[in-house]
Amino acid sequence: MHVVIIGGGEIGFALAQGLAASHEVFVVDNKPEVADRFEPLDVQFVLGPGTSREVLTRAGAERAEVLVACTGHDEVNIVGCGIARQLANPRTFCFVSREDFLKSGEKARGLAGFGIDRVVWPEAQLAEDIERIIRVPGALDAETFVDGAIRLVEYRLDPDSPFIGRVADLHLPENSIIVAVRRGEDFFIPRGASALEARDKILVMGVPDALKEVRRRMTGAPDTERQRVAIIGGGDVGLQVAERLERQLDGMELTLIERDVARGEFVAARLKHTLVLKGDGTDLALFESEDIGRCDVLVGVIDNDEKNLLASLLARHLGVRRIIARVSRRSNLRLFERVGIDIAISARGAAIASVLHQIQGETTRLLAVVEEGAGRILELDVPEEYAPRSLRDLAPPLNSIVGAIVRQSRAFVPRGNDRIEPGDRLIVFTTYAAADQVRVYFTRVR
Amino acid sequence: MRLAIVVHVTGTLVRLFSPAFLIAVPVAWIYGEWRDLAGFLATFAATWTVGTVMRRAGRHQPTDLENLRRIEGFAITAATWMVVAHFAAVPYMWTHDTYVDALFESMSGLTTTGATILTDFTRYGRSVFFWRALTHWVGGLGVIALFIAVLPRLGVGGRELFFAEAAGPTDEKLTPQLRDTAIALWKVYAALTVVEIVLLVIVGMPLFDAVCNAFATLAAGGFSPHPASIAGYQSAAVDWIVTVFMFIAGANFALQYRAVRDSRNALVQDEEFRAYTGVVLVATALLTVFLLRQDMSLHDSVRHAAFQVASILTTTGFASQDFALWSDQARMVLLLLMFIGGCAGSAGGGPKVVRHVLMARLTIRELRRTLHPRAILPVKLGGRVVPEHILRDVQVFMLFYLLTFAIGTTVVVLLGADLLVGITASIACLGNIGPGFGPIGPMGSFYELHPISKFVLTLEMWIGRLEVLTVLVLFRLEVWRSARWQ
Repeated sequence: MHVVIIGGGEIGFALAQGLAASHEVFVVDNKPEVADRFEPLDVQFVLGPGTSREVLTRAGAERAEVLVACTGHDEVNIVGCGIARQLANPRTFCFVSREDFLKSGEKARGLAGFGIDRVVWPEAQLAEDIERIIRVPGALDAETFVDGAIRLVEYRLDPDSPFIGRVADLHLPENSIIVAVRRGEDFFIPRGASALEARDKILVMGVPDALKEVRRRMTGAPDTERQRVAIIGGGDVGLQVAERLERQLDGMELTLIERDVARGEFVAARLKHTLVLKGDGTDLALFESEDIGRCDVLVGVIDNDEKNLLASLLARHLGVRRIIARVSRRSNLRLFERVGIDIAISARGAAIASVLHQIQGETTRLLAVVEEGAGRILELDVPEEYAPRSLRDLAPPLNSIVGAIVRQSRAFVPRGNDRIEPGDRLIVFTTYAAADQVRVYFTRVR
Repeated sequence: MRLAIVVHVTGTLVRLFSPAFLIAVPVAWIYGEWRDLAGFLATFAATWTVGTVMRRAGRHQPTDLENLRRIEGFAITAATWMVVAHFAAVPYMWTHDTYVDALFESMSGLTTTGATILTDFTRYGRSVFFWRALTHWVGGLGVIALFIAVLPRLGVGGRELFFAEAAGPTDEKLTPQLRDTAIALWKVYAALTVVEIVLLVIVGMPLFDAVCNAFATLAAGGFSPHPASIAGYQSAAVDWIVTVFMFIAGANFALQYRAVRDSRNALVQDEEFRAYTGVVLVATALLTVFLLRQDMSLHDSVRHAAFQVASILTTTGFASQDFALWSDQARMVLLLLMFIGGCAGSAGGGPKVVRHVLMARLTIRELRRTLHPRAILPVKLGGRVVPEHILRDVQVFMLFYLLTFAIGTTVVVLLGADLLVGITASIACLGNIGPGFGPIGPMGSFYELHPISKFVLTLEMWIGRLEVLTVLVLFRLEVWRSARWQ
């Protein structure tokens, strides 16, 4: 596929990196020094402004199937998409930094009038991800597939977790399966004989009911417990997360701490059920007087990585059980996780993953990318000519596992003696390296 | 404060009011009340003359009117009401009442209070009863709102006056131009009045009574030409019609106008209207229970409960039964309602529902602030944040309101009335409700009270109608020290 990326910043680079292997990628930027960064990648760099018809023509916009505009300027992105649309008919992704652009889409034609198919506001993407994680108590990450029939949830094992031990001895509920384990920097797909250790992170796939049972065993808490959520930082993301949670409160108690009084008043005016506090996210006295330590989840979304880290560590020290921290610089991601922040996510990372997913998802049917791209979830259709075989008899490629089978709108997690039949749709978990191999293996007709 | 301009504008407004007396003339002529007819003509002449003289006396630069100051607006509003009340009192004095009694009756009419000093209704002509109802009707939306609708020239300066007189903490305009807003409100008001007159006539009320009662209902006044108020008509149909129109009169006219013009949802979405409806329903249910315990039938209990709740809450003051004779429990419900009042922007008096809603939220906020000292807790109304200065105004208003009530009660009680009479007389006049309990109940009269009490109660009606601060600020010495003629 022919892809044009306008803007060679962090987002552009990450997108190029993700797409270079299997697509024809052109990167447009008007700063010569940016070209050097793209040197190691197998992409074509075009120097010049992304709003110039001539430059875009040089980048082959006439043949482009996808165009992503991700410079730091909203207006440049919008104009770039508009011009590309005049040249050809690519799918356009436009990054913006203000809420207005996103909102205008409802009644007015919004940015669609400029020839933009998808407006990407990274902050909104991040808020969406954070909300999804908060909604599954105890989870580090959560995804849903097949219209919610299959879910994927990530947990970390505490030293006293009942899950520690051999996988075969766990007797997980029917229709649930551990598809991957993350141990330090290692990432592997467990077999029956693999043992789980304390501080491992596990990815469990299954139907919602089975996962509820897993959660109950994992957290030892009843399902209906009310969650207390603290949000540190009332910026775009903090406000969005609170607004999203307020839409379906489920008895949640929300507290938001914002340092700036004027911003705090603005946030308090927008929110209905959230207690907005004026204060610094690193103020121990405030944390103690407001009992932040008793929160189930703390979301650190201050727009300063150092402060955010400090606030998150403070919360960890006070005993908050789950901490979700926003990281601005992607290089800080590992650092956050090293020092014990459960979930470190970056706005750009979330948006990049989402855009990559949308670009590639259509052709390769990639459902999701987990653990910073180390794991992928693929959706595969079994051809009609496929000879039915039970899973036990298959020798699938290393580093892949069939997480679920969707058969006639019913989804289930297969056991060893379940058979794969023609017309089935498979949800397969695989590592990055094995993805292509897996695709071929399951769709090949013998 | 420039006194010249205050005198000039007041004179203009007083002169504009004078044609009102002429409206009563045909009524006097129809019923052959020649003495009263002469009285109305004479009063018209006197009002016109005095108004003109004041206009002339306070000559000023034409531009002065455009930069009318706030305090001048207050002074003009307060003075206009007071002067107009004096002239409107003349027809009663013409009959035979003393100055204090006539002023009481006249102020009670204009401020839509409905408290009366009449004891023997047969001594007055029908044109006087018509005049009583007419003062209600004119005072209901506000004398100044009427003038703004009529007078294009008051446009700019009229803004200060309009809001000095407006009921409740509202500064909404339906249209960009104040004059259009005033006209729209008067249209709604007049249309509703006509509908009520027609309905009352259909269920069998004589036309004269229907007109007077409709004037009194829509203005949330309470003067009825019948000595036994609405109870005198002995008709459930009349009771229900009046109940519905009292409810309408107690709701925000601008809101109703918008509901009809734009969207039906405007009423449901308005928090004050919801609270107002809630209070009516809860109070009616409670009162029904207490009336049932007094061996009243279910239908009668609901009918009288709904009527009396609407009557007292909207500060109309009609009676479908002598509620002064009800049980203490039932009267307690009514007494509490006296302290609430109608909606902002309605014809009703009292502190207004919206102020109570805001006070309740302020209370909750202060409680929450004790638990979370660092919290940012905006007070919201209808999803929007209420600015702090308005919240402060509301608190100050409530404080002064209760203070005025307490002073009034003290005076009335010290001058020989019993405690219940003192309390209810004071709140009934300050809240522009009308009847109280005991001898000043709906079938009784304020006639027996000490003249000074009556005068103080007259002042309370005036203060209550102009929402306390408009009048009280004029009692500051500072205002008068800085006053000059030009």
